[in-house]
Order: sequence, then C-alpha cells, then structure tokens
Amino acid sequence: MEGRIIILGEHREGRLKKTSWEAIGLGRKLSAELGKEVCLALVGSEIDGLAREVSGRSGLEVVVLSNDYCRHYTPEAYCEALAEFAGTEHPYLVLLGHTYQTMDFAPRLAAMLDRGLIPNCVDYRCEAGQLVWVRQVFNGKLNLEVSPKGEPPCLVSLQQGAFPASEEDLGAPPQVVRRRIGVAEGALRRKLLEVMEAVQTRVDLSQAEIIVAGGRGLGSKEKFQLILDLAEALGAGVGASRPVTDGGWLPKEHQIGSSGQTVTPRLYIACGISGAIQHLVGMSNSGCIVAINKDPYAPIFQVADYGIVGDVFQVVPKLIEIAREIRS
Amino acid sequence: MRILTCLKQVPERDSRYKLNQDGSGILEEDLVFETNESDLYALEESLRLREAFGGEVAALSLGPDRVSKVLRNALAMGADRAIHLKDEAFERGDARGTAQAIAAAIGPDAFDLVLTGVQSEDMAYAQTGAVLAQVLGWPCATIVMEIAYEAETRGIQVKRELESNVFERVELPLPAVLTIQSGSHPIRYATLRGIMQAKKKEYRVLTAKDLGLSPETVGEVAAKVRHHRLLVPEKKKQTVMIEGGAEDAARTLMDKLVNEIGVI
Repeated sequence: MEGRIIILGEHREGRLKKTSWEAIGLGRKLSAELGKEVCLALVGSEIDGLAREVSGRSGLEVVVLSNDYCRHYTPEAYCEALAEFAGTEHPYLVLLGHTYQTMDFAPRLAAMLDRGLIPNCVDYRCEAGQLVWVRQVFNGKLNLEVSPKGEPPCLVSLQQGAFPASEEDLGAPPQVVRRRIGVAEGALRRKLLEVMEAVQTRVDLSQAEIIVAGGRGLGSKEKFQLILDLAEALGAGVGASRPVTDGGWLPKEHQIGSSGQTVTPRLYIACGISGAIQHLVGMSNSGCIVAINKDPYAPIFQVADYGIVGDVFQVVPKLIEIAREIRS
Repeated sequence: MRILTCLKQVPERDSRYKLNQDGSGILEEDLVFETNESDLYALEESLRLREAFGGEVAALSLGPDRVSKVLRNALAMGADRAIHLKDEAFERGDARGTAQAIAAAIGPDAFDLVLTGVQSEDMAYAQTGAVLAQVLGWPCATIVMEIAYEAETRGIQVKRELESNVFERVELPLPAVLTIQSGSHPIRYATLRGIMQAKKKEYRVLTAKDLGLSPETVGEVAAKVRHHRLLVPEKKKQTVMIEGGAEDAARTLMDKLVNEIGVI
C-alpha cells in the first residue's frame, strides 16, 4: 500500500471539521488525477463511531491511530503517532486543513519526518506528474507557486474554504482500521490543563443584516468612533479586524475572522481593513462587500463587490451624512 | 530567566511589490523593511518576563546587512544583546534551514526560553518556531496569548488561542519554544535613552562557518520545498471601483446600495 495520499482529519466533540471535508474532497480528486489511493487518518481515542460515519459518507478507508495519551490533542502525542504511521505507510502526500491545530503540530511532524510542509494552499496544478501548490504571501498581495523537493511525502495544508468540501453521502460500507501507536509517556512534556470557551459573547454578529467593520487604518480608539457612527446611521452591527481588538480600541468579541466570529451579512462595509487572510475567512461569504481603503493593492479589494480607493476619514463622514439623510 | 527572541525583517505592510523579470522574486530597491509584527509582540513578552524574573533577553535575526535595523530597534526597546546570523549561505532557506542556524547559535544550555512570532507577514510559513523546538528537542506551544512562569517548578503555563473564541491553557517544562500571537500586551516604543544605550550593547555577527554549519545544511540547497514564481492574484470577484472625490464616491456608493442592491 505504498504511496497513498493520506488525509489527516481534525475532529472536535465527535465531529469532523469542515476543513477536513474540504481536504477529503481534494484528496479524492487528486486520487483520481494521479492514480493514487487515498485514506483518512484520525488520531484519538473512543472515536470509532466517528470513524465509521466518516468512512461510510466518504467511501474512504479510515485509519484510527490511538494510544492512551490521545484523548485530548497534544502536539507531541499527535506527532509521535503520525510519524510512526507515516514511517510504515510511506505516503505520497499528506493533506490537512490549515487550522490552528495544524499550525501547532504539522511543522514539528514535518521536521520529524525530515520533509517539507507547504501551508495554507489555495490552489494547485499538476505539471509533468508533479504537484505545484499555490499559496498567498506578502500579506495576500502576491501568490507563490511552491513544489516539494526530495523524497515524498510532502505535507500540504489547505486554506479553509479554498477547496469545495466533499458533501455527498456515498453510503459506503465503513472500512475502519485500528492501529495502536506506542508513545512513551516521557515524550509528552506539554500537558493540557483546560479548554476555555470565551465568555458568552454579548456581540452576536451572525444575525446582522449589515455590518460595518473597521481596521488598522482607523489609527486609534478615538478615531474608531467614526465606524460606530456609520454603524448607527445604517442600523448595522459593528465588526473589527484583529489590529483593532489587539489595540484595545474595541472589545475582542467584535473581532471577525479565524480567531473570532464568522459572519455572512447581506452587506459588509470594510473600512481601513487591508484584508489579511485571517480576516477574509470570517467575512468573504457576505452578500455584498464594500471596501474603502487608501491602498489600491490591499487584498480586501480581491473579494469586494464595490471598492473606493480613498481616505476613510474623508469618505466615511460623507456616508454617515447621506445615511442620516436617507433615514430621516 | 535567559530568553532568546527571534525577529524577522519583512517589507512594510503597505508595500507595493514589483516582480523581477522571471517572476522568481520581488525587487527590493524601493521597499522599506520593518520588524515582523508578531515578533515584536514576542520581544515585548520577553522584556516583561525579564522585568519580572530577572535574567537577560538576547535578540536574534537572520538576514543581510539591512536586518541590523531590526536588531538595533530590539536593543533600543530593551534587549540586552544582539545576534545577527549573516551569511549568503543562509539565504532563501526554509524553516528547517533557519531553525538549524538558530539552534547552532543557541548552543548548549544558553537559554531557558525561545520566543518568536506566530508567523511572518511576508512568506507566512508559520513554522520556524515549532521546527526549531523539534531541532532542539524542546517542547513548544504555538499561538500563545499569555505566559505565566512558576519559579518553583521551573515550568510555564501558557494560554493558547484556538479558533472561534476558544482558548486552552497548557503547561510545559523549560527550556521551551513559544510562538507569540499579536495582541498580548501593547508593544513598547524605543525611548531616546534606549536608543542611546543600544549603541553600547553587544552586537555579534555570526556566519555559517562561525556556527560550524556547512552550507548544504542551511539555505536554499537544504530546503525541502522549491519556490517557482510569484504571481499577482486573480481577483475572485468583478469589483466595481467607484471613482471620484470623497463626496461623489460616497453618493455613488449609497445610491448603488439603496437602488441596485436594496440592502439599505
């Protein structure tokens, strides 16, 4: 069974993450294109039910890697389990979603295997039987084409939402393979103490019809008032990109993006937001996106329906004025 | 506590990039460089730990002459000494090559903690910290928001950011590598006094030879990935760019939102 494509699935509370279904979708596509077999590996304990369900839906063989230390995620237990598995399996490619968990363990796993990791890929092409991956660099202003060098496997993580998820339920007979992986307790130095959900957020932007969001371009807490004023004039919710909540201009619960809320309003007005990938994943499925930014090359314009290249301090006050006129 | 902080120099956030002729790289001439933001947060955390528990903070950067700006700034902010890894052999390396060079510069027992940012804003591989931990054989925690040190057990507890407003608290023994997320504490500015003092601080330049590294183990030759070319991303949407002065643009936009889209 040498040279398979292995998808590393990520699960939480008995469910496979959406990004892993996206990896399954791409894994099956690549399997057909390259004539390689594909399987899914899950690390954990007491996840047989999940493994059977995923195998049945996806039609893939699911390999469950477990040991006594895999009940909760820790990078060392995961890396030990996966390195041992990869060492016996000799995969062609290891695919995974680009999540915070992936960022935590995959570089270490790649180093243990002495292989490369190409992270956060948004596209690929096949060139003379070799996969060339496309990833965003320089704050999303440029794309870079990267290919693995040396012996397989290469590890490749996929940007969340960049590839269509495998959604069809194949109703296949589940094929689950269980493998015990030996991990010496001494190898596990990092211990999980607790998982904390942030305080139940009082700012739920998921139901907002209109969101006005501000970013680094606002410059200070005082100047951010402009965003609050526009939101009020439009009867909109208030969102922010990371630099705003990092700087304490607005509480963290207003943050939109991978570490905050994911929103899909009918109208999203992004003011002074450059459009870091982490922000775009939280808002790019909004109905209509308006971007106002002084930098014409800001990546936010790549996802915008309407764009104004200009100074937010000039444009937004005018918008407030007009919105108030309309409302009165 | 002895802390090494690794900082990378990257082009300024608002840079406009021009590609070289074959698209293999960017033209550096017109670019202004600055310190990678999450690395500055790592330096801020390092300085706070030293202020609370004593010890030293060494700042390290890898790159050509221009990265001295990053290290001078780190010294001015309060780092005690600077280590500049400078060698043509280090250039265009991947995370593994960079980690090898940093590990060689660390040597035996020199530090309790290595702090660096979560990821660079230019290449965004987000790997150097975790790979360095593997090369050193140390434990690691990535995407760290808060650090608590327990002098008695010589261990640290950190709060890590997970996705969607979830966090976890983990414990690890020293020595360890941590990658710091932005937003932990406000980054201090270099004071005039700091800038003056920085001039008297130790600034060491180390080459691959100084570190006993052969060029095949670092840099482009050792990299496990090959960079082909850079491309300007294709737009995902047909964006209607609204021209004109602020007033006209605002009127045109509101008109479209009210009459064409009907969202207002």
